[in-house]
Amino acid sequence: MNRKLAALISLGALLLLVVGGMLAPDYLPPADLSARYLGPADVPPLGTDGRGKPLLDYALQGAEIIALPSLLAALLVMLIATGGGLLSCAGYGRTSAVAQAVGEIIGALPRLLVVLVVALVLTGGAQATDAPPGLYPIALTWALLAAPGAMDEASAVASRLGGSRFVEALRAHGFSRRRIFLYHLVGLNLRPVLVRHGVETFMQVTFLEVALSYLATMPPQQASFTHPASHHSWAEILYMGYRWTLGEDSLHALLLGLGLIGLVVAVAVAATSAVRSR
Amino acid sequence: MSLWWVRTLVRLVVALLLPLSVPCIIVYLIWALPGDPASIICPPELCPNTDALAARWNLDQGPWHFFASWMEAAMAGDFGRSWRLEPGAMVAERVAESIVPTLLLVAGAGLLNAIGALGALTGMLPRRLHVVFQWVGLVPSLVMALSASAAITLGWIGDGTGALGLRLMLGALVLGLSDAALYSTVNGVHGLVQSERKQRYAQIAVLRGEGVLSNVLPNMLPALAGQLRARVVHLLSGAVVVEVVLEIDGLGDLLWRGALQQDFVVVVATAFFFSLMSAGVLLAQALVELVCALLVRRAPQVEAA
Repeated sequence: MNRKLAALISLGALLLLVVGGMLAPDYLPPADLSARYLGPADVPPLGTDGRGKPLLDYALQGAEIIALPSLLAALLVMLIATGGGLLSCAGYGRTSAVAQAVGEIIGALPRLLVVLVVALVLTGGAQATDAPPGLYPIALTWALLAAPGAMDEASAVASRLGGSRFVEALRAHGFSRRRIFLYHLVGLNLRPVLVRHGVETFMQVTFLEVALSYLATMPPQQASFTHPASHHSWAEILYMGYRWTLGEDSLHALLLGLGLIGLVVAVAVAATSAVRSR
Repeated sequence: MSLWWVRTLVRLVVALLLPLSVPCIIVYLIWALPGDPASIICPPELCPNTDALAARWNLDQGPWHFFASWMEAAMAGDFGRSWRLEPGAMVAERVAESIVPTLLLVAGAGLLNAIGALGALTGMLPRRLHVVFQWVGLVPSLVMALSASAAITLGWIGDGTGALGLRLMLGALVLGLSDAALYSTVNGVHGLVQSERKQRYAQIAVLRGEGVLSNVLPNMLPALAGQLRARVVHLLSGAVVVEVVLEIDGLGDLLWRGALQQDFVVVVATAFFFSLMSAGVLLAQALVELVCALLVRRAPQVEAA
């Protein structure tokens, strides 16, 4: 795919998610049972759910839940990975080795186990303080768990360049340290790895939110760990869509749910393609 | 001086500490929450006598006492009784029932990945197939598990009754393919083989008419073990979603229900078993590294011409 086109698709889809989230209503309109499961042609643009509420509002609220926490998690992973790459080139061999050892320890546990423990503690805390649960702590926990892998790969790329010898060689050509680290190392060489890990984390956090909310939506119904009860995740759209297989008239919800998942995948694939090495 | 043993030692120590530290951290996190644990588990408006409750559940003498007595009982096979999920039920019995389906699920998914790794290792799996695995791997485990669940419910696969064996088989397939599991395995092993083949000793082996794989495999084993360990941990993590959606009564399902119901005893026990399994694979990786370092001849470091 053309790199510029890929960048445009990626940024466009990301913008759609963020702006959509900003436009999300605080509450869904009241139920209208006369408008149950109407398709996009009857109630544009996305149709309605089993209580006559517009699916557009579900999609916007879902985007609001995931957009900023996922972006923050992606940025955190990219930041830590950049640190790993820079350490390898700055000649801090021992610090880099210690960072890798810490990464090994963090990576030894199944991520979802850690996330569920964090969610459990958060729910307990939320009950004690009456604060609504949110996706931010879970997203940041996921980012911290994903960071060692990204750091390892960034470090490997920096080592392949020659580590501190790469920096010395460019210094001999008269380049400043700032230019070498920020432009030559991060901008030209680490960029594909950083962006790939960033968008992967973005995608994983989004799917994690949808999965956690979906599992909480399944009977017996419970409040989700990731958002207040007044908000609705994309998981609910998927759940409505799944009921189409059980005979309900909700094919449009299924297509919408899969389309939203596809939108997030498009962000990831297009961004990775846009920053690939020449 | 070569410090090859440092990482192996770190892995051995982590493997030994993991099953102890995970329950300990969870217990301290529970105590770190605002309010006392007994009130969080059963709010005072529902349970007026929380002091008696705290004494009954061993919550009245601080986190260390709770952890130490829990661990002591756990060593004897007693993981306590469920507080909220199934009040009064023995957690050890629930864990014993759950662990076999989880092991079968992860073993099935692991087998799929092992076949992929073998194909990449021997070159039987061509690189052009990677893009197929990559696209399949982009599908989240939830969506793939829902498709499998729909296929069972509608009778597209099986007789519509959804027997446990069928759910386990489909679950293993979902777990092995989704979230880039198989793609990461195949791509990782292929990358390892490619980079090791470029080593001078491997090229000399080719010139001598020897097989490449038999030469590079011993040197690749530690890295290969590391990749496979990461994959098993990934599969253990993914088992939670697959088990809940496909209604497999495994350890992941138990962990999920325990977390949702805030049943700390169930969560601590399931987390202990998950960390035990993670420690097992970490230990296996450390042993492979140890054996390779002691027995396998290393490629001499040669400066490029």
